[in-house]
Amino acid sequence: MTNNRRSENSAEHQEVSALIPWYVNDTLADSERQRVDAHIGSCAVCRDDLAVHKRLFEEIDAQPAVDYMPVASLKRLQARLDAAQAQSASPPMAPLQPGRSDARWPGWMAASIAAMAVAIGLLAADRWVQFEVRATQPNYRTATTSIPRPQGEVIRAVFSPSITLVELQTILDEAQLKIVSGPTEAGVYSLASNSTLTVRSSLALLRRHSTVRFAEETLLEPESGDPP
Amino acid sequence: MTPLAKNSPKERDNALLIAIAAGDRRALEELYLSYHRRLARFLSRFTPRYENIEEIINDTFMVVWQNAKDFRNASQVSTWVIGIAYRTALKSFRRQKNHHLAHSLEDYPEQTVDPTSDTEVTDWLKHGLSRLPLEQRLTLELAYHMGHSLEEIAAITDCPVGTVKARMFHAREKLRQYLPTLGGAPSELPARMG
Repeated sequence: MTNNRRSENSAEHQEVSALIPWYVNDTLADSERQRVDAHIGSCAVCRDDLAVHKRLFEEIDAQPAVDYMPVASLKRLQARLDAAQAQSASPPMAPLQPGRSDARWPGWMAASIAAMAVAIGLLAADRWVQFEVRATQPNYRTATTSIPRPQGEVIRAVFSPSITLVELQTILDEAQLKIVSGPTEAGVYSLASNSTLTVRSSLALLRRHSTVRFAEETLLEPESGDPP
Repeated sequence: MTPLAKNSPKERDNALLIAIAAGDRRALEELYLSYHRRLARFLSRFTPRYENIEEIINDTFMVVWQNAKDFRNASQVSTWVIGIAYRTALKSFRRQKNHHLAHSLEDYPEQTVDPTSDTEVTDWLKHGLSRLPLEQRLTLELAYHMGHSLEEIAAITDCPVGTVKARMFHAREKLRQYLPTLGGAPSELPARMG
């Protein structure tokens, strides 16, 4: 005990003790690792600390992590960037101060202002054309129409934005489906059959899950009496 | 995958950040997708709500987009990105009115469960972690969940290494006081942590 107490008060003990968490997560340099190894052999207090940190590390490391799908989040980031860029492309013009003579401006300043005016004019014209194009298009999308059907697609589905990759894969495995394309901007996945299970059976399996917001067949199966 | 992708993650991150600084949106998207999983897993340990997690990650990448040109090669891109996420998360968690990280350990009942049960220890550890001051818990998670070195955590949190060591020491002591089954006896506060 006396030896331990003496050891606990030494500078070496304190420095080594503070390194123990990184000894445990295996990120110490070799020289520091050797220093910890050498010290804990003779220091019961540090061996005790080491046991605590190992337990903490094991517990924290073993806790299950949740995986989220990044695509929908990325689309929202892209929308924010678009908005920020649109805003910065049209900065407010500062009013000219009255009574200042143009003749006092240096030539380069006048030229750069003229260039900026032309650029702003071109940008405005471009935005107007884009607006005109958008104005002629519907401002909604559907999950079932208009987009060409990817090869093998039998079902289109939309999942909850909070669904994890693991959950999505589990649902698809259960329904014996695979993703052939998607998600679209509207979050629509095109799914193809992965087995001999009928499309209707796969659809029924999909619809059992509350995280499936929408699921519809895109390739109608012939009735059993219909000719092929 | 953009043509900028390189062999090692470090080279790839550097190439992507250079492209981002030049205004390449596709490079930003690639960097986002390569960091999203890591950051979301880390942040999900502090908040169960994906809306909060997404907000922190997207705020982080807005900063990456705006400040990529100011990045200096003295640090690693990963440390820089995670450092931005750390500060963004810190602000976000402090803003949350119902966040209970500031509660003291004294508010929590003493351990009365079977100390030999691993499940109970895990549950109580979760509660113990949620009672730590935010900086201490973040330090612990950066080391034990993310696997960062002492120097990396100092860079991420923008603190001297001595501060990181002190936060880790206090986190361990509070958890040990709160959860005796972790083992050992409380240590005396080291005279110096440098």
